[in-house]
Amino acid sequence: MAVQAPPTTRPEPGSPTPQLGELLRQAWREFRSMRTALVLLFALAAASIFGSLFPQRPISPQRVEQYLLDHPAAGPVLDRLGMFDVFGSAWYTAVYVALLAALVACLLPRTRSLVRMLRSRPPRASARYARYHNHAVLAAAVPPEQATEAARRVLAGRRYRLAGHPGGELAAEKGYLREAGSLLFHVAFLLLLVGLAYGKGFGYRGQISVVEGEEAANARVNYDSFTPGRFFGPGQLPRFTLRLDDFANAFHPDGTPSRYAASLTALDGSGRQLRRQTVTVNHPMTVDGIRVYQSDYGYAPVVRVTVKGRDGKPVTPQDGPLLTLRDPVTEVSNGAVKLPMLDPQIGLDVTMFTGLLTGDGPGGRPTLANDPRLVNPVLVVFGWRGELNADRAQSVFTLDRSGLQPLADRPLVIPFGGERDLPGGLGTVAFTGVKQYSVLTLARDPGVPLVAGGAALVLVGLLPSLYVTRRRVWVRAEPAPGGARVELAGLALQGKPAFAEEFRRLVAEVERALGRSPGGPAGVTLTADAAPPPVREPGAARHETRSRPGGT
Amino acid sequence: MSSATLADLSDTLVWLAVLSYVVAAPLLGLELAYRSRWAGRAGVAVAIAGLAANLGAALTRGLAAGRVPWGNMYEYSMMVAAVVVTGWLVWVARRREVRPLGLFVLLLAALAIAAAALTLRVPAGPLVPALNSGWIKVHVVAAIIGTATLSLSSVFSALYLVAERNERRAAPRPPLVAGGARTADRAEVDEAIAGYAVEELEATEAAEAPATGRRLKDLLPPAARLDDLAFRTTAFGFPIWTFAIMAGAIWAQSAWGRYWGWDPKETWSFITWVVYAAYLHARATAGWRGRSAAWVSVLGLVAFVVNFYVVNTWVVGLHSYAK
Repeated sequence: MAVQAPPTTRPEPGSPTPQLGELLRQAWREFRSMRTALVLLFALAAASIFGSLFPQRPISPQRVEQYLLDHPAAGPVLDRLGMFDVFGSAWYTAVYVALLAALVACLLPRTRSLVRMLRSRPPRASARYARYHNHAVLAAAVPPEQATEAARRVLAGRRYRLAGHPGGELAAEKGYLREAGSLLFHVAFLLLLVGLAYGKGFGYRGQISVVEGEEAANARVNYDSFTPGRFFGPGQLPRFTLRLDDFANAFHPDGTPSRYAASLTALDGSGRQLRRQTVTVNHPMTVDGIRVYQSDYGYAPVVRVTVKGRDGKPVTPQDGPLLTLRDPVTEVSNGAVKLPMLDPQIGLDVTMFTGLLTGDGPGGRPTLANDPRLVNPVLVVFGWRGELNADRAQSVFTLDRSGLQPLADRPLVIPFGGERDLPGGLGTVAFTGVKQYSVLTLARDPGVPLVAGGAALVLVGLLPSLYVTRRRVWVRAEPAPGGARVELAGLALQGKPAFAEEFRRLVAEVERALGRSPGGPAGVTLTADAAPPPVREPGAARHETRSRPGGT
Repeated sequence: MSSATLADLSDTLVWLAVLSYVVAAPLLGLELAYRSRWAGRAGVAVAIAGLAANLGAALTRGLAAGRVPWGNMYEYSMMVAAVVVTGWLVWVARRREVRPLGLFVLLLAALAIAAAALTLRVPAGPLVPALNSGWIKVHVVAAIIGTATLSLSSVFSALYLVAERNERRAAPRPPLVAGGARTADRAEVDEAIAGYAVEELEATEAAEAPATGRRLKDLLPPAARLDDLAFRTTAFGFPIWTFAIMAGAIWAQSAWGRYWGWDPKETWSFITWVVYAAYLHARATAGWRGRSAAWVSVLGLVAFVVNFYVVNTWVVGLHSYAK
């Protein structure tokens, strides 16, 4: 946004109060000025900080709830201020919308002036040539017109845009790519943000858990969590079914995870296979425009609970894989079996160890540890009786213990393949197998191509905007005894040291070209800075120490 | 060698690198202060030894863990230091006069390693599955180079602030008069001419005036040089940092299913990006050029430090690889 605010016109002293139109114009100029853009950039950076200070609802809603519990006084106030969804809050939106508006407001006049610049001719020198830092005088043995023509060819060969001015002055300019690149960078950035908004609005994201050997249809009801965009209807979910054929996880020798792999098959509505792929953390699968990612996993011990029903006959209300919540550090999983149909109601806390290790700790007390690998699965079951409060909203993995009393003071420890009796002859619990389930993230983001294209163009535009420099060269040839006196001046608006070097080479090239000019003798005398020594006047005196291009 | 031996060797080498940098820095300080060529050459020699130890520490750690040596923030800091020092040495080979600036470069490198070794160190270990991707080479290498160059540019900006204040106090500059005909963008031309005058004035002053004082502020290169250095390192580092963020987004898209999720690390790299973008804008804005712009660049370094030490250690996110 390199537009500089034109000097704001102030009302003349003594003139009546400024008109509303003038005020608005002034406000508009201020709005699209770089100062405003800078202030808005800082505001954006500062506003983003809050998003990293507080837990964010779209990322981790549980941590927001925990924060609200831990800070009963400040929490609700912060919540009202939008601190738990900073990037979706009204004030954050206001900042970036203002920045985008300022960006557009600044890009329009800049584009116009770039077009105007490309249409107009390179301007005349604004000062005496001798005043420019890059300045050289060459003596040529050809008439002025031929000398200018030779310089013109050199400059054209260096891809300068050229213009002849009255008085025989040749003006040359190049480096428009700087401004063009800068404009492209900003437009591409806008494109990227449009893609981001489009993807957010028309895409969705959600998670589905599938147990090994089972299937889950891509339907809203099967999602554990579902975050649709504003314009995404559930009817837009393509119909397919995912089957988890196998899940495998491996560990490094130090116990940290090394690999999760879900072997997935996607089936269409009639059961035909659409795709089959092993989905690992960095290798998602694409089905019907939906990307399927491996994001988490857990254990589903196969548990059979047999109890006496109300009529005294044995029933098995639980017979199959039981989804449990895995602790990512210890790999110990917790789940619950809820039997609200019994009287009194029964609840079982189920803990599964993947590799139970018992030992003797200090003082002879037994210690418990867990090997993260599935080497010795053991189920620990603790029974409760009373009121499950099943009508209240609660997690499927835990029991609401407020209305429950323990069945016994010791839990049942069931080895793999074993069966144990519940206290009081209530029934039995059998641990017949272990399955794993995979938590898959399914996402559709139609904005990705726009975002990717915008990002690529951001880089394409950024490089010339930083490295190309705009520079001008002027050439004037005057008749002189024996031919012409050729004077050159150069000006770089950026990258001055590099241009000084370029100018030196340019002068040398012009010098060679003058030597080759038809009709001219080979020898050309170069008199760098042949101009009379300038008068040392205050201020201007500082321009005099200049490089001596091509000095002999 | 076993991986435990390699890891131990790495721990020794890392402190050897810090030690070398800390020894080399005052030698270059001597060159800065007394224009002692001898001290400068010795400083470079010690710094090269330090770089060898630095790279050796990274290599042995990589071998110990059986992977690239930038899998956590401790190793990342080590690599940033190595890149900063390598960049400075390459620069010295091309332009001898930047050699004394090694004083600040090496102190930055030593500080980066020492702070990481004391706060972010973790035992050499394998990568978690999310990091196990080809993108770790692209994204993290770009981030390392971007961090190294951008933080270096902030150091130059900070030095510029000191030098500029010093020069301003020593000799208030008379206003420059630039004449000439009115053209479409006369302001630009005048400014360019005035810019030369200032640069040259400073260059001649610096060449003529012997270093009279012995305080740091009297020994610095001319403010205009430092400002130019700061801009050029930013111009080099900013596109790389931009690319690092983009490569990270592509990786996040394949690992986590979204290219951007306002994870604390993502948020802070965005903040850093915005601050350096603001610096580039400020440098092209009348009224912000010079000191204000330099302060923005210093703010960028603050953002990096927060991203490193605060976000990695205190804030929980998907990028929490430090602990």
